Amino acid sequence: MEDLTQEFLAESREGLERMELCLTELERRPEDGELVAEIFRAVHTIKGTTGFLGFGRLQALAHAGESLLAALRDGRVAVGGAVISGLLELRDGLQAILEIIETRGSEGERQTDDDQALIAWMAELEAGRGLHPSQDQVPSKSPGQVAERPVAESLATTEKSAQPHPAGSAGTVHEKTLRIDVEVLNRMMNLVGELVLTRNQILQCAPGDGSFPELARRLNGVTTELRDSVMQARMQPVGALFSKFPRVVRDLAQACGRRVRIEFEGQETGLDKSLLEAVRDPLTHAVRNAVDHGIEPVEERVRAGKPVEGVVRLRAFQQNGWVVIEVTDDGAGISTERVLAKAMERGLVTAEQAAAMTEREVLQLLFTAGFSTAKEVTSVSGRGVGMDVVRMNVEQAGGRAELESRVGLGTTVRLRVPLTLAIVPALVVESGGQSFALPQGSLVELAHVTGAEAETAIERIGLAELYRLREGLLPLVRLDRLLGLEQSTSSAGVAGSAGRERGCYIAVLEPEGRRFGLVLDGLRPPEEIVVKPLSAALRELGVYSGATVLGNGTLAMILDVAVIAAQAGVKPINEETRPAMSTAAQAESAGDETAGGIARIAALEMQDSMVVYETARRGEDGVMRGARMAMPLSAVERIATIPVSEIEYADGRALLQYGAELLPLEDEGELLNAMDARPGTPVTALICLQPREHGVRRVAVVVRQVLDVCPGALLAEDAAICDGPLAMIGERVTALHPGFSARAGTMPARVLEGVA
Amino acid sequence: MRLAPEKFAEAEEIVSLCSLRAGAELFGIDTREIREVLGTSAPQPVPLAPGYIAGVLPYRGEVLTTVSLRALLGLEERSGANCVLVLEDEELGEQFGLMVDGVGGVVTMMPSELAGNPSTLEARSAALFDGVYKMKTGLMVRLDPQRLRPLELARSGLFGAAKQGRVEQFRTTEMK
Repeated sequence: MEDLTQEFLAESREGLERMELCLTELERRPEDGELVAEIFRAVHTIKGTTGFLGFGRLQALAHAGESLLAALRDGRVAVGGAVISGLLELRDGLQAILEIIETRGSEGERQTDDDQALIAWMAELEAGRGLHPSQDQVPSKSPGQVAERPVAESLATTEKSAQPHPAGSAGTVHEKTLRIDVEVLNRMMNLVGELVLTRNQILQCAPGDGSFPELARRLNGVTTELRDSVMQARMQPVGALFSKFPRVVRDLAQACGRRVRIEFEGQETGLDKSLLEAVRDPLTHAVRNAVDHGIEPVEERVRAGKPVEGVVRLRAFQQNGWVVIEVTDDGAGISTERVLAKAMERGLVTAEQAAAMTEREVLQLLFTAGFSTAKEVTSVSGRGVGMDVVRMNVEQAGGRAELESRVGLGTTVRLRVPLTLAIVPALVVESGGQSFALPQGSLVELAHVTGAEAETAIERIGLAELYRLREGLLPLVRLDRLLGLEQSTSSAGVAGSAGRERGCYIAVLEPEGRRFGLVLDGLRPPEEIVVKPLSAALRELGVYSGATVLGNGTLAMILDVAVIAAQAGVKPINEETRPAMSTAAQAESAGDETAGGIARIAALEMQDSMVVYETARRGEDGVMRGARMAMPLSAVERIATIPVSEIEYADGRALLQYGAELLPLEDEGELLNAMDARPGTPVTALICLQPREHGVRRVAVVVRQVLDVCPGALLAEDAAICDGPLAMIGERVTALHPGFSARAGTMPARVLEGVA
Repeated sequence: MRLAPEKFAEAEEIVSLCSLRAGAELFGIDTREIREVLGTSAPQPVPLAPGYIAGVLPYRGEVLTTVSLRALLGLEERSGANCVLVLEDEELGEQFGLMVDGVGGVVTMMPSELAGNPSTLEARSAALFDGVYKMKTGLMVRLDPQRLRPLELARSGLFGAAKQGRVEQFRTTEMK
């Protein structure tokens, strides 16, 4: 019986969701009979099942709705604003009862009067009373008392969604159930079968048996496929999240007296189920903000020469291993002057700081707690809770929130979330002889302090250590000291003791607006780590958010950067009297300082656009693997797709005819060898200008595919980590093509050979 | 705290115990409470964790927090091969590990052979031990996994709290 109820709840909820979508759609296309039929089916199913399960209240309500819908279907009543408002109201009524059933197991006897009012209203609508064709187009004029409820209710949800979700709160049925394509499930079952067979074979495999490597390979293949299909099963289209917004926008637009249309793009973009739930609240908030603050009132839009109807566009897409969800409105935009004035009034920034801030930094202020630029507090939003909660919620999910705005043209709120919570890109760092994983989400930049520079570069006030990062002073936290892993040699606190001669790395981190530098002993190549939860006893320590198994098989603890900042007493930026940093302007002036021997990174040496591409590289073990690499956009002349048949070979060297020129094809990833030799197969090549000792030359670099073009910054070269240059691109450390690093005076010999 | 003799007064059933060693003493844990015995394994130490936590181990896709029996008994950690028993934390429904020097055979005991902890036992041992079996060859201390759970050990406060990293310096300088 319990199972039946659970199934009924999940099914009904889906039905109601569909109903809501159809209703908002119906408002736009009142003549569409299919939509009415669809809604009818949803309500009818609920009514039928409730009778069977014995939920009387639900049945009575569904019955009233059903007969109104039957009248609509038969054309006895015309579709209009009032009817749609009424049906939406009915939907909410049904939903409310479902929620009671879900929490209590029975429908309870509360709010009986409410039901009666609703049922009476349904009957009235069915009788066609109070309906005039002229009113149909004006949806906001629905019968008095009851029609107030959508607004009141949406207010209640605003309050609710403004609160950050307590971690581990009991999920509703909605969050606990998941629909999976039977195909996917079948494939998983097949793979599990395969896994069992392979295990059996391995168990029977005698020691020293020659077939073992083959079995291990098969096991590897099966595991990878199984992981992928489980991940795929967890992926849900973002569209499931978008579906509730037409209603939200409709109700809000009515409450604010605006005319707003909602548009979607990229609903099919997949996102991990758990993350989908995590972005639900921040996204709702962003949409509410767009309607309430973004889109102007009708008169203002007319005055500005814009279409009367405002547009809120929800767009989702994948980029660089992130899922980006944008909420764009074509409203008034945010005036940076007003934001600054407000920030100064609230004492968040000083006048001097304000003068030096870039537009982007000003807009980021909106994410500060207690900041709201609404001219007046409206009933819908603008109570000072808002964007800071959005940011917090998204950061809790391991993502980031950004804001872009053009006065007069509109605002875009961008939520960037990782593809999955379980697998995150992380930096593997070393401290006190142990390895730790540092999620790249809050990593801003990395700096290397060489052994010789360590004494002068790290300055002290009392016991606190500071590092001069451009114009600002960065408070430092030593990871080994924080974790009690300090070597006895340096424990005296004396500067420049023996243990520090090797130099160190400073990871500049900014979790929740607290900016600090974490001093590390060493870096290892970044890895995509699988996050494993910790036991309660270790969670209590706070500094770890989980553990992971590294590529070499050892366990590493994952550092919780926010807790480390809090434990070390790092204050959020706006509370500190930090000198304003205008990154772009000061980056240039700081560029020369690198002569001091400190290799500084990010934003200063090169804030160039990078072409990120996929190729193959030979690892240390001599095996070719897929790799993500980058090259400055300025060096790329053209991205060309050429049929493999156009590549010519002379003297064992691959050449490409490019206009009148003959270009050497550089294929370090040996992609051409691995490629299908049929003449039509396309090859992607970057036609680049490569700096040489005397002038430049053109070269074609064969890549597997071009992934993205985005801003990136060159990292310090360090032979210990990697034998080539590295760049920080979109929060990920990426290897740079060795022939095109920023100051390419020193060219790798093998590239030069090619043209000798 | 439940008292072992009372518990077994009613059911006169044979108990099979897995014998294990830490230092010079012999211990036994009811085989029904052991999920698995992991052979030689070295847990990864966790900085800041209390001293009785030997570290973490990967175990069936989870991270197993491992308690060191030697550390609990106040013995020096020894180098060389250790054994880890996987036990169940009934309260939290998760597993934890117990690191011992080595695991011996399974012995069967009658509940009547179990005696309570001696009243002179010092507090730490009394918190850990769950009575003593009188064997022909000597004594075997009975261990109850529920008393060895990492959270339970932390609650008892007898075995030292989590270590503190050196962060105070930052706070003090800020106040200046």
